[in-house]
Amino acid sequence: MRALTISELKQYDGRGGRPAYVAYRGKVYDVSQSFLWKGGTHQALHDAGRDLTAEINDAPHGDEFITRFPVVGELIEGPNES
Amino acid sequence: MAKVTREMVERAGVDVEKLVELLVKNAAAELTTYYYYTILRVNLIGLQGESLKEIAEVARIEDRNHFEALIPRIYELGGRLPDDMKVFHDMSACPPARLPKDPTDVNAILKVLVEAERCAVRGYTQICNMTAGKDHRTYDLALAILNEEIEHESWFSEFLGEGPSGHFMRRGESSPFVSKFLR
Ligand SMILES: [Fe+2]
Ligand SMILES: [Fe+2]
Repeated sequence: MRALTISELKQYDGRGGRPAYVAYRGKVYDVSQSFLWKGGTHQALHDAGRDLTAEINDAPHGDEFITRFPVVGELIEGPNES
Repeated sequence: MAKVTREMVERAGVDVEKLVELLVKNAAAELTTYYYYTILRVNLIGLQGESLKEIAEVARIEDRNHFEALIPRIYELGGRLPDDMKVFHDMSACPPARLPKDPTDVNAILKVLVEAERCAVRGYTQICNMTAGKDHRTYDLALAILNEEIEHESWFSEFLGEGPSGHFMRRGESSPFVSKFLR
């Protein structure tokens, strides 16, 4: 499985035709095909290319709205990330 | 735009840009749902389908009312609708409630209906959470819509037999909660 750091994940922000990836609990999911992630944002409040583990607590739904998407990698700590 | 109205909401700590975008996205969900429900409704035929048609029609009309009710608030807060309706469709807060591949499959239609209502329930819950105690007018509006969405979800969920039924279909005028915003 592919390993991505937070700064690598940032490139997959779903804008300008780029794929939209989001991280959740150490896994990276590809949400590019989702109608609700068009343009790399979800419900005007959440951005692709980020770790959404904490943000999901404010969502009006559970994590099945993330975990049903294909896993494309795992989130790892980069050299300058702690 | 209602300048002081917006200022009050900003001062209460609400991100007005995000709130307005969310209101526009939900207005898009209402209008597109109204459109897609039209197609679902005309396909609700036969012994099974006809029993559902009336409820689908009430949900359809009330969703159109929700669209109408949201618009003044969007403009009061300094927002606007996109010039291009295709953009409006694609920014909907909920996925298109498309007719299932087999249009004679009433159960599949019911599932489309209940999923659309569940998306709406989530969306207005989110708006209520964002505005509670901060933006009283948007909260009042979102709560009124939420009340109707919860009933829509219940109707379809009960038709799917997901649990005992606590509801009858709408009696009297449509949109009992939202009508005060339509006058
Ligand atoms: Fe609605
Ligand atoms: Fe509805």
